[in-house]
Amino acid sequence: MITVKDIWYKSNNTQLLKGISFDVIPGDVLAVLGANGAGKTTLLKCLSKELVPEKGDILFREKTLNHWQNKDLSKHRAVLSQHYQVTLPFTVEQIVMMGRYPHFKNHPLPKDHDIVKQSLEFAGILHLQYRNYLTLSGGEQQRAQIARVLSQLWEDENDEKLLILDEPVSALDIQYQHHIMQLVRKLSTRNFAVIAVLHDLNLALQYCSKALLLRNGEQVAFGSTGIIDRALIKKVYSVDSDLVYHAATHKNYIVITE
Amino acid sequence: MRYGVLVGFLIVILIISTVLSVGIGPLQVSAIQSIAILLKPLGIHISSGYTDQQEIVVTVIRLPRVIFGMFIGATLAMCGTAIQGLFRNPLADPALIGISSGAALFTVVMIVLGVHIFQDLFNTLGTYVLSIAAFAGAFLTTILIYRISQAGGKTIVSTMLLAGIAISAMAAAGTGVMTLIANDAQLRTITFWNLGSLGGATWVNVGVLVPLCLICIVGLPALSKSLNALVLGETNASHLGINVESLKTKVILLTALGIGVCVSMSGIIGFVGLVTPHIVRKIIGPEHRQVFVASGLLGAVLLVVADLVCRTVAAPVEIPIGIATSLIGAPFFLYLLLKERKTQIVF
Repeated sequence: MITVKDIWYKSNNTQLLKGISFDVIPGDVLAVLGANGAGKTTLLKCLSKELVPEKGDILFREKTLNHWQNKDLSKHRAVLSQHYQVTLPFTVEQIVMMGRYPHFKNHPLPKDHDIVKQSLEFAGILHLQYRNYLTLSGGEQQRAQIARVLSQLWEDENDEKLLILDEPVSALDIQYQHHIMQLVRKLSTRNFAVIAVLHDLNLALQYCSKALLLRNGEQVAFGSTGIIDRALIKKVYSVDSDLVYHAATHKNYIVITE
Repeated sequence: MRYGVLVGFLIVILIISTVLSVGIGPLQVSAIQSIAILLKPLGIHISSGYTDQQEIVVTVIRLPRVIFGMFIGATLAMCGTAIQGLFRNPLADPALIGISSGAALFTVVMIVLGVHIFQDLFNTLGTYVLSIAAFAGAFLTTILIYRISQAGGKTIVSTMLLAGIAISAMAAAGTGVMTLIANDAQLRTITFWNLGSLGGATWVNVGVLVPLCLICIVGLPALSKSLNALVLGETNASHLGINVESLKTKVILLTALGIGVCVSMSGIIGFVGLVTPHIVRKIIGPEHRQVFVASGLLGAVLLVVADLVCRTVAAPVEIPIGIATSLIGAPFFLYLLLKERKTQIVF
């Protein structure tokens, strides 16, 4: 649903992206990994049409991303940032209703109210519906934002949708990190493709199906999360590590040995 | 629900304060007489035995003044709401951040110098010239303040307030220079502009003020959805399909128009744009469409009542309404500063 073909991006004479190519389809959860300054955020900005690559092509639903109108794009693609500087005391319900803004003109329809309710339920925060967003904890705020992007893309389960997440859990404690990532994985069953910048390799292994590894703006590897091994971690993060198999969860975990 | 109750309540209060305002003054007109006089042009006749003199005082002197207060109050409050939405900050106020001073400076320059330079303009456009000058001043100041106080996609509040102080000081200096070269008549006009007063209310001025204010009053609520989304930040709003650049342009043009026309008609009336949306948000929350409508009504009520108090409390001396709103508004602003310092939400 989104295909990235050899994109390059330069800012102030520094080449920030050097030939990135990959693609995701609905059901994929792609982790974008790399050390600080590897170009993860720049890549995400290109994918969300904030920046335009100088070279290369991004196809979203078979159409060049740059040819999409923001208005149409917002019906098929949502972006979740790490944190939000909300300064006015909106209720959780009002924040989530903002996700419906691309879909109604002036006043929300009964359908929009339904979708908001379902999104709140999906994110497990229906009980916070009428609470002041500013009084929520960081984890609750992030779940409200998830409900918002969800309500933005709720329409028609058969429609293919893209969710872009910029460090969605970096500011949260461990419990909420897993809450949010579980929600994200649950979304992929609703015809969502998810692209997420993550810092925690173990979260990526646990919840993502694909991985894209970057170093200094270059693409080091792209494939299923199974490709992540000692050599790759050394190359991308310059640390020694071991992959340890955990029998109870049937999963590999990364232990940094350095 | 709460919103409906508040709007209904404000409409009732606005009607009551209108009837009281046209009745109270050196020549007393009873409430029932006022109602009879007000309803006469609508073809409704109530026999209440008012005199011709009472009718003239109400329709020629007091009614235009009440309409002035209503529209200026509504426009200032709604522009305050819009500016706070644009800056994503509840402490922004058109007067506080220098927009009104900019408008006043341009108006004063026009009064003093314009007569010589733009004689032809004055002859063809009349009162509109001052409105246009004030609009230009408000427009330039808004853009300037916005540019200065934005960094990395958010508003630096302290910068915004300090830039407002600097711009107000510059505008005051400019106005000061104008007073040196102004003649007596111009000097009186300048003082009037600096203090703020509804004394300039005539039917001719109402004819200029009302249509221009209506553009604001109708235009701003149409931006509500976009202003709500802007609270998530500019980038996130654009991800919701909002054209942020066009939103900013519309808010700046409409508020400059509103502030400009109000300042050119009544001088600087501060704090209405700050206090009104605050009170409204406390009661019904921050959803912009509702805040616009309710603040518009509350702003109208506040100015009509404030003007009534100002012209009766020390009669025959009339207290400039700008002084009254500052007397109430400034302590309120200090209270907000202290409160925000505690909650750390704004800074």
